Amino acid sequence: MSEPVRPAIAHRDPKLPPLPDVPEGPDWAGGLKVFDAPMATALLAVTRTLYPHQGLREQIYRRVIARFDAAAAASPVVAQGFAAFVDGVNGAMPLPFAELSEGFREQVLKRLEGTAAFTLVQRLTVRFLYDDVEVWEAFGYEGAAVHLGGYVTRGFDDLDWLPTPQPGDY
Amino acid sequence: MTRYEHDDSGVVVIIGSGAGGGTLAHELARRGVEVVLLEAGKHLTAEDFVNDEWAGYEMLTWLDKRTASGTWRAAKDHPTSPSWSCQVVGGTSVHWSACCYRFAEHELRARTVYGDIPGTTLIDWPLTLAELEPYYDLAETKMGVTRTNGLPPLPPNNNFKVMHAGAKALGLTVSTGRHAINSIPYDGRPATMQDGFTITGDKVGSRWSTLNVEIPRGLATGKLELRPQARAVRIEHDDGGKASAVVYVDAQGVTHRQKARAVVLAGNCVESSRLLLHSASARFPQGLANGWGHVGRHYLRHVVQTVWSIFDKPVNMHRGELMAGLVTDYLPHDPGRGFAGGYLIEMNSMGLPTTAAFLDPGWWGRDFVSVIEQYRNMAGIFMTGEDMPQAGNRVTLTDELDAFGVPVANIHYDDHPNDLRMRNHGYKALTAIHKAAGAKRCVEAPAYPASHNIGSNRMAANAEDGVLDGNGRAWEVPNLFIADGSGFATGGACNPTLTIVALAIRQAEFMAGEMAAGAL
Ligand SMILES: Cc1cc2nc3c(=O)[nH]c(=O)nc-3n(C[C@H](O)[C@H](O)[C@H](O)COP(=O)(O)OP(=O)(O)OC[C@H]3O[C@@H](n4cnc5c(N)ncnc54)[C@H](O)[C@@H]3O)c2cc1C
Repeated sequence: MSEPVRPAIAHRDPKLPPLPDVPEGPDWAGGLKVFDAPMATALLAVTRTLYPHQGLREQIYRRVIARFDAAAAASPVVAQGFAAFVDGVNGAMPLPFAELSEGFREQVLKRLEGTAAFTLVQRLTVRFLYDDVEVWEAFGYEGAAVHLGGYVTRGFDDLDWLPTPQPGDY
Repeated sequence: MTRYEHDDSGVVVIIGSGAGGGTLAHELARRGVEVVLLEAGKHLTAEDFVNDEWAGYEMLTWLDKRTASGTWRAAKDHPTSPSWSCQVVGGTSVHWSACCYRFAEHELRARTVYGDIPGTTLIDWPLTLAELEPYYDLAETKMGVTRTNGLPPLPPNNNFKVMHAGAKALGLTVSTGRHAINSIPYDGRPATMQDGFTITGDKVGSRWSTLNVEIPRGLATGKLELRPQARAVRIEHDDGGKASAVVYVDAQGVTHRQKARAVVLAGNCVESSRLLLHSASARFPQGLANGWGHVGRHYLRHVVQTVWSIFDKPVNMHRGELMAGLVTDYLPHDPGRGFAGGYLIEMNSMGLPTTAAFLDPGWWGRDFVSVIEQYRNMAGIFMTGEDMPQAGNRVTLTDELDAFGVPVANIHYDDHPNDLRMRNHGYKALTAIHKAAGAKRCVEAPAYPASHNIGSNRMAANAEDGVLDGNGRAWEVPNLFIADGSGFATGGACNPTLTIVALAIRQAEFMAGEMAAGAL
């Protein structure tokens, strides 16, 4: 039986810039540099189908799209990859990807697996989704530690459900 | 800092300031040899480093394009970055996890002990363990390796408790292992605070690197000049066939020619082979030191892989030193297991960002999600084993040029049947340990980009079998040396760096001796 889980408190290195601040509400895509709203909506549906975490708020996936957008703004090749990919997912069925049921979405993505555009989007989703402090807290990763003195007095050896190896035995 | 003129032909020029080159630079300088150390990366300090997996990766990693071919998973998963190393002063010693193990005696006699295995190009080392041992001692002392010189082991952390419980239940020999990480203050550096971020530079400095130990001491001798952001693009030779200069490009894009008394390549295997191949000339049409065609061949990357397992209760594997665990039972050569050579089992820990990225790079959907959501309850266990040298596993030059006009390298690697048998055996052994500790699900992760890069300019007892002699000197170019893992005759099982450092110390002694005798 699993124990009730206390949420972790996670830290992003204080020297790093903050994660993108995406507005709440339906017009969230308005501030993006490269993607228009339909493009952002399609990519949002893709990331949620690739990595469907029930417990994560939509806002987290929107931050992924904002980081895609920044990557597209920085590189025309990446921007083109996203555009080709969205054309592919939207053209696969008589309906735009975002309107498809989960089963159809999965089928469409499976068909594109192995293409360069799919690999780009899938890898970048992993790159950005799991690099988000809110996700770290949800799944129990505490992040930056050195500015807090490391874990030497903060639980590096606090696992208590197995025996603690004794000196001479490790 | 001491500065040498570009036309000063009395200096030894070392290319690469990592574990091999940084150590050699210090060891030569303290013997009075004048050294110019060229390093492609920037000179960063502890202040620059961050506690962040991706930001650290982007800050430190050699990101220039490479290509990959062959049956290895890296060709599919990491087609433009099949090998993993750093581009920064200190090289990958700024990033490594500091596991420090010695070759086993039989591994240095691989061809004799393993026999004639079809498809392999096994040879024996031109060195014995007895010859290496004094240098291992020196390396361990300089690096402050735990469990040597009276230094205590790293203490057990959460991830280790899992490994320990499982290994004990199976009757295996388990310890926290040996690391160039201070368990107590040593050599002016503090004990670890268990922050778990050695791989992004180690802000605390409890882990040995050439950035924090060898290079500052080398500079203090007044004999060493470090040139960061200096990218070597070609090695030149004189009419007599001796290396005479290194052409490099500085941070402003200006090309220079540094004359040299001797040249040492220490670019981490792939880059060293690439430079030799690219430095072809009328006299050396196949590339420098490549008369016998071995430059780039016999490339090894070890049988490296991880099993990530999920338990019922929290592990918090990110807390503490990342690889402080060791099981040695599978190291001996035991043909009864169905393969030659052995492997070490070590602990592995990663943060959530890189666990997600390396768990299985193409994996998506509900199953992946159900695994990664349990990051808190995840433990990692790892192996590094001996892979078989094959002539076709090699670094070659492609038609594509990089920003410096040097051809991009391709790394071709086909798994040998012996490698696959060892992989299979290893996955089962890793899984068994975690199962014995109560794992409810074990995920066999593929190898990540090659972190142990070995063998592609190997040493051999005879010129026709390799590129280098037993002192890491090119058979065909008497003042050209190699001080990285590409010089290993075979790979052994253990993580390579302690051996790279030991060989660099030995090489410094040899070079200084030759110079004193007027022979170099
Ligand atoms: C994730 C990871 C974990 C690791 N953990 C361990 C471990 O626990 N134990 C262990 O033994 N090993 C470990 N290693 C491997 C270890 O880092 C290497 O074995 C070691 O750093 C190799 O030393 P080197 O001097 O050959 O190369 P490096 O340390 O990589 O240094 C090479 C240097 O050469 C420079 N260079 C290359 N080409 C040029 C050029 N043309 N001009 C100028 N400069 C150039 C590079 O920028 C770099 O700084 C790990 C590696 C990785 C990636």
